[in-house]
Amino acid sequence: MLILSRKLGESIVIDDRIIVKIMRVDGDTVKLGIEAPASVTVHRKEVHDEIQVNNKAAALKPGLPLPKFAQTKASNPPSTGG
Amino acid sequence: MNSVEPIQPENAPPASTNLVKLPLGLLGFEPVKQFALLADPAEKPFAWLKAQGEAALAFVVIDPFVVVPDYKPEIPDADADFLGLTNAGDALLLGIVTIHAPNRATMNLKGPVVINRHSHIGKQVIIANSADYSVNHPLPVAAS
Repeated sequence: MLILSRKLGESIVIDDRIIVKIMRVDGDTVKLGIEAPASVTVHRKEVHDEIQVNNKAAALKPGLPLPKFAQTKASNPPSTGG
Repeated sequence: MNSVEPIQPENAPPASTNLVKLPLGLLGFEPVKQFALLADPAEKPFAWLKAQGEAALAFVVIDPFVVVPDYKPEIPDADADFLGLTNAGDALLLGIVTIHAPNRATMNLKGPVVINRHSHIGKQVIIANSADYSVNHPLPVAAS
């Protein structure tokens, strides 16, 4: 892991196309600004990992039958707003 | 845009044009980009996102609004732009289903697969309000 120190307002450049800037430092919370091409996904790591694990568990193992969906006709009254 | 409308089953892409391209793949399966969205009426409301050209990779999916009618996923602007979504009606949302046991299944509401219904380009989007929802939202199912 490459470890760099940056001050508020300073940035790092990754692969000549991704910029990470320290926007704000507030106690133990650092606000980062990220500029990256649309083809590069950027996620908070813990949510990313949680979804990656979830996808792998969901990827179908052959032979497991689909359960029957219990069609609960949840009547949804039209919302009056608010 | 940061909210999408519920998708009615009759708005699902017709079988003849059911190919979906995920340019960034799915998290953990990034190299797999071509899928077909297939639905067998006997398995309603479940459908399949089946990898094309790969051996035996498939995901069960479901319209999340069938189970959570007031699901309010906030699609980040960068993702809406990536997918070319100009209004809520452009988007088809699918929750990836995990089958834990013959009588227990859940769906991922933090990271729906969002598909542009006109271009059939999709992405697994981590919604901005992911803290409000579960990756394992229970589905009402029974053993078949």
